[in-house]
Amino acid sequence: MNQHTVKAYGDELNQLTAEVVRMGGLAEAQVADAIESVARRDVALAKAVVERDIRLDALHRDIEKKSIRLIALRQPVASDLRRTLGAMKLASDLERTGDLAKNIAKRALILAEGEPMQPLTRSIERMGRLVSTRLRDVLDAYTASEIERALSVWSTDDEVDEHYNALFRELLTYMMGDPRTITACTHLLFMAKNLERIGDHATNIAETVHYEITGEEMLGERPKAVPGPGEEQTSTPHISTLPSDLTDD
Amino acid sequence: MPYEHSPSPVAPTASSRLWTAGASGGVAILVMAALAVMKPELAGWLAAGAVAVALATWLVNRRPPALVSISELDRSGPVDLAPDGALLGDVFEALDDPILIISGGEADDIAGRRIALANAAARDLFRLNGTGAGLLVSVIRDPKVLEAVDEALFGNFSSTVDYVGGGAQERHWRAFVRPLPERDAHLWGAGALALLALRDETDTRRMEMMRVDFLANASHELRTPLASLSGFIETLKGHAKDDPKARDKFLDIMAIQADRMGRLVADLLSLSRIELNEHIAPLGRVDLARAASDVVDAVSVISRERGVTIKADLGQGGATVSGDRDEIVQVIQNLIDNALKYSSHGGVVELSIDRDRTLDEAMVARMPEGTRLSLATPDREAGQKYAVITVRDHGPGMAREHLPRLTERFYRVEGQKSGERQGTGLGLAIVRHIIIRHRGGLSVDSALGQGAIFAACFPLAPVRDAVEGAPAT
Repeated sequence: MNQHTVKAYGDELNQLTAEVVRMGGLAEAQVADAIESVARRDVALAKAVVERDIRLDALHRDIEKKSIRLIALRQPVASDLRRTLGAMKLASDLERTGDLAKNIAKRALILAEGEPMQPLTRSIERMGRLVSTRLRDVLDAYTASEIERALSVWSTDDEVDEHYNALFRELLTYMMGDPRTITACTHLLFMAKNLERIGDHATNIAETVHYEITGEEMLGERPKAVPGPGEEQTSTPHISTLPSDLTDD
Repeated sequence: MPYEHSPSPVAPTASSRLWTAGASGGVAILVMAALAVMKPELAGWLAAGAVAVALATWLVNRRPPALVSISELDRSGPVDLAPDGALLGDVFEALDDPILIISGGEADDIAGRRIALANAAARDLFRLNGTGAGLLVSVIRDPKVLEAVDEALFGNFSSTVDYVGGGAQERHWRAFVRPLPERDAHLWGAGALALLALRDETDTRRMEMMRVDFLANASHELRTPLASLSGFIETLKGHAKDDPKARDKFLDIMAIQADRMGRLVADLLSLSRIELNEHIAPLGRVDLARAASDVVDAVSVISRERGVTIKADLGQGGATVSGDRDEIVQVIQNLIDNALKYSSHGGVVELSIDRDRTLDEAMVARMPEGTRLSLATPDREAGQKYAVITVRDHGPGMAREHLPRLTERFYRVEGQKSGERQGTGLGLAIVRHIIIRHRGGLSVDSALGQGAIFAACFPLAPVRDAVEGAPAT
């Protein structure tokens, strides 16, 4: 990193990055724990995930405050400005990621009341693993300022979409086979959707990392999987039909 | 930087043990000399003592100065009790487990947690350069570990947490966090210090998972036919007792189920036998072409039943490999069985043998539009040639994510049921173990809808002289 004449300025920037990395670690753990709580039907873990979300929110506010302070007092330019803005952007992506993880954990609590659905939760677990890996890779890329790794996360987003489409079909088959599973399958479907969105946030972070390092936008079209059966209906505002305690707040 | 203000670590400081040891040795010798002058009758003993002290002093001072000696960085802690600080420094460096020393900074500033010292294993793991100094969050951001470090730094609390590390493969670590007594503030940045030691538990985890999976799978595979057997026995004892027609039908089904259990147990036994012998190289010589044609003859009944043609292009001679005949026959048999299972009625299974290939030629990709994966690769030996047997089917094929797991016990490609296919789920696991024992290789090529190609290669046996039976040099 560049040397700053005012040492405190450099310290503040480093501190901001460190805070973002810590927040990333927390978000990562939230996602991993949420998936584990689904896979192992672990009620205590799911509750812990729901409770811990407050800390992510607090970190988000803190990082935002620190960034604004830094912009106001130090008037950063060029790469410093990009670092500051990047921290703010990452923090809000991570905060959303945490919310989605919390939503998965809430649904895990409901699923734990019913019968176990082994093959389906295993598919969710597999998709969750994939998404967690992407999140980890992109945060590694941010910490180490490695542009190649960020790019590889950015360009492989279609893997998650493929998984989501496969899961969508699998769940539909189950629901058609046995209408009693519809409640559980719907929850699993939303979990899959949430995971898919976490994947999108990872892609966003990759874009931010790219911008922060190069100062340029990502150009070119991201490779997309063929729109699956779930994609046509995404425009319907399905969230509003959910019971209020399940919406992604 | 914690090292910025430190004195050169190589030069011993004035009160270093090097000097003190030398000085005290010298004083002792002087005292003895004085005593010898006063009491001449003891001079012999005292001279011997002086020589001993001089020798000891020389031995202590002979120690080469180490790069970083803990005893020089810190002269007050418990480290001083140790015989040799430099040795401890070397031990720290040489330990296999990654170890980090973390300095605290301000309690509310996450950027204050810095790595003060990292041993070689830790620098390797986290790809740190030089002394390894840097921010702690840039190498570990797991909230549990960070919390444990904070507790150790500011609450003087020891703890042990599990931590899953990144990298290409997931690794499970157990992190031991211990508070360290406070050191010289200006050497280490600021006040509090903590030790973070990691222990790799990935293998233990994996073994445990495999054991649990294996038990669950094996008992599940055995339970299904067993349940059907006991169901039919119940029926035969009850209302089907006097119905000869139903009895015959039930007995047939029971025979099939018992047969299936028998095959599963036989596979399990042969797997365990092969595993026991895995590190003993087989001694015999086998003609691969002849073994293959024997297998083709043996399965011709089944293949006709299924309406599958086996097209064998075996050639003549030149494919003598070193190996155990029964085991090599089992490899070919299992591969052909698999190919038959996944061929539809009217399909073709192709079998061919290539001779005199190098390892790279043997493991080459065979399906241009498919994915190739090596399931077993032998150690490279210069000049070693291989004979390759390839079995191709034109069945449904497999997606690339299934390929790495094919040789796992009881692994089934999703959407395939064990019932109709009659497999035990152990066939490829047995194939792989036999091939590893034979120092051979196994690779698979497949694409969805295009079938699969399995290629097994075995090292060619050394050429014999014209006289049969005399081994060549």
